[in-house]
Amino acid sequence: MRSLAPKYLTAMTCMAISISFASIVQADDAASKTINIAIEVCAGCHGVDGNSLVPTFPKLAGQQKVYLLRELTDYKTGKRVSETMAPFMESLTLEDLPHLAAYYAKQKPTPGIVSNPSLLGVGKTLYLQGNSKTDVPSCESCHEPDGSGSGKFPRVASQHTEYALDQFRLYATGKRTNGARVMKAVAERMTEEETRAVAEYMASMP
Amino acid sequence: MNRTLLSSVLALMAGVIFTSQAAHAEFKQPHAAGIETYGYAWNSPDQDMNRALAHAADASKGEAAYKVCKGCHKPDGSGLADANYPQLAGQHASVIIKQMMDIRAGRRDNPRMYPFSGEWIVSAEEIADIAAYLNKLPPPTTNGKGNGYNLPRGQALYLKDCVSCHGKAGEGDAKKFYPMVAGQHFSYLKRETRESRDHGRRNASPEMVKVLKNYSDADVEAVSDYMSRLKTTR
Repeated sequence: MRSLAPKYLTAMTCMAISISFASIVQADDAASKTINIAIEVCAGCHGVDGNSLVPTFPKLAGQQKVYLLRELTDYKTGKRVSETMAPFMESLTLEDLPHLAAYYAKQKPTPGIVSNPSLLGVGKTLYLQGNSKTDVPSCESCHEPDGSGSGKFPRVASQHTEYALDQFRLYATGKRTNGARVMKAVAERMTEEETRAVAEYMASMP
Repeated sequence: MNRTLLSSVLALMAGVIFTSQAAHAEFKQPHAAGIETYGYAWNSPDQDMNRALAHAADASKGEAAYKVCKGCHKPDGSGLADANYPQLAGQHASVIIKQMMDIRAGRRDNPRMYPFSGEWIVSAEEIADIAAYLNKLPPPTTNGKGNGYNLPRGQALYLKDCVSCHGKAGEGDAKKFYPMVAGQHFSYLKRETRESRDHGRRNASPEMVKVLKNYSDADVEAVSDYMSRLKTTR
């Protein structure tokens, strides 16, 4: 119970920020319901335009629509589990999700933050070629050479390194259970250092 | 003594309960009966395979679907000799379909590739499309070769034992699901030939296993080297 407390705190902080956003931006009748949801429910953590400022929360701006919809649906149905996301998903209906996915897909992502440029070289090689010694395929084959992703393969360019590293860990330990078969194998085969290098390289891509 | 036994049984039970409750994803390749099983029939009917074979394959769709493969097998299908990733360019579509389905079903053990081969990432129809795409790619001639020390021996073995199925130029037979061996990486041919001999390649043809039974490691190497240097006329 003790260990859960910080997560609820985070969630409550996000909610508080969302409410303050909502009072600033008064959506008029013309504004779509989707923008209202984005502002009232999501913006506290993910930013109004999906460019989250908190590095543990993923950037959604410019994300692949198909991927976003799958993730939102999986959160809603419990296939992807997150204590942080759960209370927010409760206020959304399945019908809201395609509109939200389309909204974030249209937003312009801000540049990512590279914290350790010395890892970029290793990261680039891994991203483009993989590591055949440990059967790690290249990342670019699914996520595209520019990191833009396509369809169900998410955009990884300019993503927060903290979020990316969290996902590598969750995949490797079997705790991210949706869409995980491929990425679990990849994450399991990578060293901690390799995941750091790739995360830095992904953040460096515009 | 009894107490120790009891506590270890309890610990074991607790472990079982804990493991079964943990919501962790474990994705293991299934294990299906293969050559080690009495009554094994090579290339017996398979629903997944029939779906792929019945599909009107579209090579251009296959090019797009191939993306999940090219991270290892490379954009030109040439694989990687050092890593034993087979060369796939120009391979018969039927062969690619059969091998993929054998891996999906667990008749061919391949824990390295299994996560990238299942229906969660490619459908049976997409596999047919990918196979059609790969079949159209020109086989590269820069494939990995052996040391060339024992080619006459390799040739003699090939002409005696292999040519009737795999063809004079190593072209294989699409209709019979026999792979093209020409231009394949030596390292891959050597491993697969050896594994077939030793029943490690569990989806191997019993006829081939019989032929390979008395092959020494040197024979395997010689015939693999010879095959890696064959060129098809395509």
